[in-house]
Order: sequence, then C-alpha cells, then structure tokens
Amino acid sequence: MKSAKPSVSEMPADSAGTLERTRKLLSELGDDITKVRDKNDLLILFKKRIKGLYHLTHTIVTLIDYKDETYVPFLLDNEASAIRSHPRYQEMVHSRFSLNEPVIQAVLQADGPISFLLEEIMDLPDSPAFFRVNYEKGVREILMTRLMKEGKPMGFIHIYSDKPGSFSSEFRDVMKDIAPQLSGAVSNIIKNEELLNKEKEKSFLLDFSSDIATVRTKEELARAVRAAISKLNQKSGYVIRRINDDNASMSPYVYDLGAWQHDQKIVSALEKARYPINDGIQNRVLNSPIPLLFNVDREIQRGIAAPYLQSWKAMGFQNFLGIRLRNAETNHGILFLDIEEINVPLLQGICSQISIALANIMANEQISKKQEEQAFLLDFGKDITQARTKQDLQNAVFRVLDKTMHTKLAMIRVIDDDGFHLSPFMHDRTLFEKAKVDFDKMSVNKITIEETYTAQVLASKEGLMFNVEEEFKSGTAYAKLWKTTGLRNVYALPLRAGDKNIGTIWLLADRLSKLMLQGICSQISLAIANIQAAEKLLAYKKQLEVENDYLKEQIKTIYNFSEIVGSGEEMQKVYRLISLVADSNSTVLLLGETGTGKELIARAIHNASPRRDKLMVKVNCAALPANLIESELFGHERGAFTGAIDRRIGKFELGNNSTLFLDEIGELPLEAQSKLLRVIQERELERLGGKHTIKIDVRLIAATNRNLEEEVKAGRFRADLYFRLNVFPIHLPPLRERSEDIEALTHFFVQKYSRNSGRKIRKVAPKVIQQLRSYTWPGNVRELEHLIERSILLATNGTLDDVYIPQHTGADKQEPAYLLNRSLEEVERSYIIEVLKRCAGKISGAGSAAEILKIPGNTLHSKMKKLGISKSDYFA
Amino acid sequence: MKIVVIGGSGLIGSKVVANLRQSGHQVIAASPATGINTITGEGLAEAMKDTDVVIDLANSPSFEDKAVLEFFQTAGRNLLAAEINAGVKHHVALSIVGVDIMQNIGYMRAKIAQEELIKQSGVPYTIIRSTQFFEFLKGIADQATNGSEVHLSDVKFQPIASDDVAAFVSKYAQAAPVNGKVEIAGPERFDMYEVVARYLQHINDPRKVVSDGKPTYYGGEITHTALVPAGEAALGTINFEKWCSSQPQPVA
Repeated sequence: MKSAKPSVSEMPADSAGTLERTRKLLSELGDDITKVRDKNDLLILFKKRIKGLYHLTHTIVTLIDYKDETYVPFLLDNEASAIRSHPRYQEMVHSRFSLNEPVIQAVLQADGPISFLLEEIMDLPDSPAFFRVNYEKGVREILMTRLMKEGKPMGFIHIYSDKPGSFSSEFRDVMKDIAPQLSGAVSNIIKNEELLNKEKEKSFLLDFSSDIATVRTKEELARAVRAAISKLNQKSGYVIRRINDDNASMSPYVYDLGAWQHDQKIVSALEKARYPINDGIQNRVLNSPIPLLFNVDREIQRGIAAPYLQSWKAMGFQNFLGIRLRNAETNHGILFLDIEEINVPLLQGICSQISIALANIMANEQISKKQEEQAFLLDFGKDITQARTKQDLQNAVFRVLDKTMHTKLAMIRVIDDDGFHLSPFMHDRTLFEKAKVDFDKMSVNKITIEETYTAQVLASKEGLMFNVEEEFKSGTAYAKLWKTTGLRNVYALPLRAGDKNIGTIWLLADRLSKLMLQGICSQISLAIANIQAAEKLLAYKKQLEVENDYLKEQIKTIYNFSEIVGSGEEMQKVYRLISLVADSNSTVLLLGETGTGKELIARAIHNASPRRDKLMVKVNCAALPANLIESELFGHERGAFTGAIDRRIGKFELGNNSTLFLDEIGELPLEAQSKLLRVIQERELERLGGKHTIKIDVRLIAATNRNLEEEVKAGRFRADLYFRLNVFPIHLPPLRERSEDIEALTHFFVQKYSRNSGRKIRKVAPKVIQQLRSYTWPGNVRELEHLIERSILLATNGTLDDVYIPQHTGADKQEPAYLLNRSLEEVERSYIIEVLKRCAGKISGAGSAAEILKIPGNTLHSKMKKLGISKSDYFA
Repeated sequence: MKIVVIGGSGLIGSKVVANLRQSGHQVIAASPATGINTITGEGLAEAMKDTDVVIDLANSPSFEDKAVLEFFQTAGRNLLAAEINAGVKHHVALSIVGVDIMQNIGYMRAKIAQEELIKQSGVPYTIIRSTQFFEFLKGIADQATNGSEVHLSDVKFQPIASDDVAAFVSKYAQAAPVNGKVEIAGPERFDMYEVVARYLQHINDPRKVVSDGKPTYYGGEITHTALVPAGEAALGTINFEKWCSSQPQPVA
C-alpha cells in the first residue's frame, strides 16, 4: 500500500490565505448544503465551490451497505464525469463493490482523506473495476474521504483528477474539515429521498384509493388497476384471479397483459380456464401473507403442472409476483404481476384496496344477480299460478330453468296414487339429443320409490347432487345416460307438498345455485300438487255427477221399501240365508217369480254387508240395448266408438268397493255373458277403447225369474257363467206359497197408499182378506201392491171392503196358477168346449161329444144351455 | 456461495457472517435494520435471489408465549415460502437441545413449531440444536435472584461459547444438508448452580448461589437432563475457564 500517502508535492505555506480560503469555502459550502434538496445538487454545488480553487475532474459519493459489506454509487456527477462515455459506465453505476479489499480498508482505517494513483492500485487482485475504468478515461488520481454517521462510516466521497498531484495538503485539510458537513448533507439527502418516496407512495395510494372508491364494475376495476400499475412500471402486465363459487378453483377476473403483444389463442384459453386452487402456485400465494416472487422456469422444473405456467413461459414472462387479495380473513383472489421489484408496503396497499373493490364488485354482482333471479322467480311464480294444465306448467318450468339457471329439465317424476310407483310427468327430450332412444326407453319406465337414486332423493331434506363422473364409474344405467349430456352434475330434489313427497325433479348442470333451485322446486311442487288436485277434483266431480244421475233414476224406479214384510215360514228361510251370506263377498243368485221382491232382497243383502256405506249399483240386463251392454257395464274411453265423445265410467267401476246387482241376468245376450264371465273371474276390466286394466272389487248379486238350468240346457245361457253365479242361490217363494203373509202385506200397502192418496182407510174387511188369500197371485207381491192401490182409489168410504181381483181372459186360462183356481162349472164348461172342438161341433150321435163324455145327447144339450156354450165358443 | 443470514446482526449472527465472509462467501446479513424483514416480507424476495443457503438465527423481539409463537410461525412461513420460490438449497436453523421435552415452556413450543415448519417445507435443511451459551449465565443468575441469593437447581448444564456456536453453524451451513437434527454443546457438563456460582465469583458478583434442588429453567419445570444432549453431540472447544478468561473483567 505504498500509494497510501500524500503523493502531491508540498505547496508553499500560505497559511493566512489558506485559512481564509478554507473558512470562506466552508461557510459557503455550509450555506449551499442547507439549500441542497435534490440528490445531485450537492455535487454540483460542491464542485462549483472547489473548482476555482483546486483542480479536479469529477466527484462521486458512494454509500456503504452493511448488509453485505459493499458500497454502491449514490451521487453521480452527471455533467463532468470523465467516464460517462466508457462502455462499462452503466455497469459501474449499478455495481456493488466489496469493502473487503485493501484499498477500501485503508480508506476506512484512515482518519482523513487518502489519495491513490490509479496506476498503482487498479491492478491489485481485489480492486474494484471503477479504478481501471477511470484510468482508461484519463483519470490518474483518486482522493477518497470516508463519510461518517453516528460514529460509523456511512460512505465515501471520491474525488478524481486527471493530473497526478492535484490534491494539495491544503485541499486535504479542507476535505477533512468539510467531510462532516458533507456527511450531514448526504444523510439529509437520504432522509429526504426516503421521505419523498414515502410521500410518493402515500399520494399514489391515495390516488389509487380514490380511483378504486369509484369502481363499481369489473371494467372500472380493470382500468384503475391498469392505471396504478402503469405508474409503478410502464410495461408490466397483471391478472386478477378470483376464487370461484365452488371454493376449489380460480378463474381470471380482470387482466391486462401490459405492453406486450401475445398470441390471442393462448390469451383466450387462459381467460376461459378454471384453475384448481391447489395447483402448487395459487395455494402458495393464498397461504402467504407476503408477496411471493416466482420464477417461471424454476416452478416448471420443480414439476408444478399448472397449465398457465407454460403459457406464461410461451408469452415470455420469466418472473412474476403473486399476492393474495384478502379482506379480513377471507381470500378473494390473487393478483399476479409481471414485475421483479417488490415494494412490499406499496403492493400491500394496492392489494388491500383491490380486495375491497373486488369484494364490493362481487357483492354488487351478487346483488344484481339475485335481483334478476328474484325477478325471474317472481315471473315464474306468476306463470305458475296461472298454470292450469300440464302444458302451461311445462312452458313455465322450461322458461325459468333456461333463464335463471341456463339448464334444461331432465325429468320430473310424480308418485302415483299407490304411493309406490313413480310415473314420468315432464321432461325435456332435447337435453338427451345424443341418447334419444335410451332416454325414451328409460323415461317411460315406471320406477318405484325404492329405486336407488330416487330413494336417496326422497329421503334427503334438500335434495342431492350426484357427480356424473363418479356415478358413471359405478356404472348405473342412469349415469350412462347422464354422461351423454356432457354436464358434470345431477341435481335431484324431492318435490314436496307440505311434508308429503309428491315426486322428484332431476336437473343436469355443471353448477346450480342451491337456493334458487329450492325456490323453483317448491313452486313446481305446488303447481304439480295443484294440477293433480284439479285433476282429481274433476274425476270426483264426474263420478259424483254419474252417481247423482243414477240415484235420481233409482229414486224414480225402485220400490221404495225399506223393509221386507212377511214373517211366514218361507220368508224365515230366506232371512236366514241372507244373514248367512251378507257378510261374505260371495256371489248370490236370487231366483224367484216376477214380483217376488228380488231387488228388495238384493238390497237387504247389500245393506247387511260391510259394503253398506257405498251405493249398491243395479243393472237391469233386460233393459239394456244389446249393443250398449258392454259400454254400460265396463265403461268406455273417449273416442272408443262413434259417439263416445266423453269418457264414461261403467257400472262395474261405479260399483267398485260396493255391490253390483245384475237383475234379469237371464236376459243377457250370450256375447255379453262371456265378457261378464271374464270380469267376474279376473276381477279386473278394461274400459272400451282403454289401454290399461282396472282392478275392481265388486260383490255380485244376480237375479232372474227364469229357470237358468233350463236356459243352460237350451243353450241360451252359458253354463260356466251359471256356475259362477250359482254360488249361493236363494229361492224367493211366490206369494201363493206364503199366504200367511198376505194379511201383513195388505195392511202395509193399505197404509202406504192411503197415505199417498190421502184417503183414510181404517179397516180392511175380513172378506177382502179372504178373497186375497184365495187368489193365486201370478204377479206375486207386485200384483198385490197394485191391486191394493187400485182398490184404495176405488174405495168409497173408510173401509176397504171390496177388491177387484182381475177376471182373466182366455189367454190367461192356460196359466198354471189359473188352472189351479177353477170352479167345477168352469172346468165342466171348458172341457165340454174342448171336446166339442175336437168333435167339430157334433153334439150327439156317433163320434159326438156326448159319446165321449158318456152322457146322453139331451143332457149335453141342456148342460150347454145352462153353461152358456154357444156355437161361437167351439167354432172359434 | 451466496448465503443469507437472517438475524445477521445478532450475537451469533454477526459471528457467523464474519466467519462465512472469511471463507470467501457472499454473505448477506439480513435484519430489519438492513431492510430485510421476515415478518413483513420486505426485501425478502430480493435477498433470496440466487441464494444457496439461508441461515435463520432470528429471535423473537418479545418472549411472551403468544408473541413468540406468532413470531416464529410467521417469520418461518414467510422465509420458507420465499426460499422455495427462490430455489434455496439449504436452510440452516438454530434450535435448542431438549426443546421437544420442555414443551411446558412457551418459548420451546414456539421453537418446535419453527422446526416443524422447516421439516414440512420441502427445503433441504439442517437443524442445529445447541445447549445454552455461556453468555446466558448472567441472565440465568438474574432471573433466579431473590434478594442477595440466587436460587438454582442441580439441573445438568453444559453451556457452549457463542464463538463455538458460530463456528458450528458456519460449518453446517457450508456442508450438505443433514435433513435432520444435530446437537452441539459445550465441552464440560456442570450442575447449573455450580457453574453460575463460579461465574458470579469470576465477575466478583456478591450474590450467593443457593442450590434449592428444584429443576427449573426460566420458571418452567424441567427434568434433570433436559438441557443436556441425550445422545451424541458435537462439543465446542472453549471450556468455562477459557471463556471466562476471554471475558472482560469488570473493574468494579
């Protein structure tokens, strides 16, 4: 270190002048220094003062950085620096020079200024490069003085000269004296710069904050951030990514790629993507309270597979900064910046503002989205309340799903009346374009509430979400169908009216708002419940109308008996049979002559049966036109045949859970018999023109006045039907066999008709009873009833003392009941006429009637006269 | 190599910085004073640029249980995140012998938390668990002083000189990462009261050391052997005598 000594020849001492000059210089510099505000002013002023007195080329100030024991250029002489044209000048300006080399150590140890000839020091192994750079530009000597702060070296002032020996001892003294002032000035400059920077940062943040405060939309945010970042660094790009609603991925929200031009394809691919949060980059940023600087290549090498790294690399970004956008304890997103300088407080200031803006915008967006959705829901509500038919509902549902959720309806299934099966109710086939056939096949299937998916959905409180991909792995047929839509999730919700499940709704989408979905579903549930209720109501109404019509008819036609009169032995037998069979569901066959009260008995059986609460339905088989029998019995669908303009419920259906009384079963045409037989056997029927079978539960009572066995033998009645019906036959006795009941019946009818006709009949003459008992009653009870009615009308006073038993015409005389009731005279007369007819009117002689009768001709003559037999009787 | 020493201006840090610079490494002495703050993240990313080794010798400014835990967790997280991003190849941290068996003491819990963060970070690491430094003797005496008496136990104690610690840290920092723990200790083992008594005597402190038998360390109860290495440990070269003689003797 031989150069570490004053290498300037001693100047002649001019102590008075020197002192004077020094004082002047010091005071002037002192003044100057107080004025120094700008960094480089100091050097200019310093030089201005020194230059006239001492020779030098330029000066610089360097500062020590103890962090790594280096010193760096701080104040530069931009006007006079000899090395500004040197190719390594910029490198010098930005270099850090080590303190750990002998020259600088010497300066640090020296108490005052110390000079070196560059020639001697520049080639020492550890010497800083600027020695040589200066030398190459003609500088020959350097005078270095350490600047102290708080007793510790803070930096150096370097004074360069192109003439060796420029630095006189007087100058050295001056430098030694002014070094503390210069130190103070440099510290001030540093402080000032710091203050200025802080000020700048603050005003920047303030500006940014007022910019951000006005931000309402995404676009405004983009502009504000762009403006702020361009103030920091002209060309850097940025992207703000937002955490998506799923909390598992992030998507670009606003971005600006800075001044660079980029491949539009890459950009738009980046723009649209959703990146999983835990991709090795985003999660690191979100978890770090401080900004993180990333190197693209390093992250790729590390094996981070985030796709945007490759894109960024392709776009030429090497380093980027990631800062989380966080409001209180919630992360909203990430700001990625393509800068390398990190001013942590400034960035955090910016980011907290962006976070707030982002939160605000998101809140705003959410509110307006909510409002929109609510408006739609309101519309939907309106549409739904107006929906009276399935078609109305379908239109409303399709529209609301499209508008609010951008999805289509996969399926609504509704639980059937049996509470077990689910039938398809509504669906949008267009959703399954790619699997139409499969969908059609599957959608018509009835499923049950025990089907795996359905059971889960119905059991859930607020519906379920199935991931199509996962379900697909389990290989269910439904999942395969879902997969064809390319959508990610299946949303399935129970439709409930009150707390009763009425069906299920199935939607396919990538994502749906749960709240919206529930809102819509509850409305749909209500609408379906309403429509179902309306349909049911209509059906009930129809049934009631039919029943009502039928009842009116019945009231007009049936015997209005509420009781069966008669306690004779024959009737007792009947009663016993009724009580035996009533409780069961067995078919009863009522046999008996006309007018014996078969319908009355049928009603009695029904009324004694557990089905008594329902109306017994009566069909008079004889009264039905042959071609309408089937429709009457089994009903028909609309359009089943010409004239079938409406659906009609048949008598069997009407009598479901009740009793069907088939009167005059013997009159039923053969064709209808076979149909009837089938219904009785299967206990189910199909309406004419109908597609599905209807289960019925009907108790049958059939009645006839014919001898069915004979009808069977004659081929007019099907044997199998007869055996089906003849399960429990009850024979009703004819009235002539229960004459003991005639009196009771007479009194009953007298009472009934005297009340009806307004005539008071108090008494029935015993003679009349006698007359009635002796009559054979071919019309049985019905005849008796009508006879009494007529007699009451013909009665002149309060006593019924005459009855008008019909006088029979000849045609009646062949009736067995009539034949049994003839007098001897009548027998004699009719026999004589018969014989006369056979003998062609010959009264006496051979082959005459007298001969057959074995009486004399005269006797026959007189008998004929007596009996009033004229020629017209036997020549008819 | 470029080496960043967090807490580079502290007792051990400054020595380690000097050692490593001596060995010709580019060393950055990081501390809030030099503009590198592991809590706020200021200057961290820049400092980590092209860094090969990070030595974390930082200590919490507060020793209150919660604050100390928060310091080591926040600083650890930030530092390790920046290291990962910068591709740092070796993280060296200084911890305490017996830290895992003294979890009743808040400071020890915080140090364990710091160790855990390092282990889970994925950065290759060496955790150096050291015994107490000779420099702590005065502090230990002060916190146990009651009137003119110092109440200490016969807990086993094997203090190490900070120069030795710095030498070990420098050595491990320049070696390959252990990805585990190493233990370092002083060359001699004492009863705690005994060594403190000798120290007080050496500095002419009039306080009297009383061995009251309760093994505690800064108020927390510990086992007799908690503070000394259980297994193999690297031992320093400076013993008590040598250390004492290097300490300036107070005039008074």
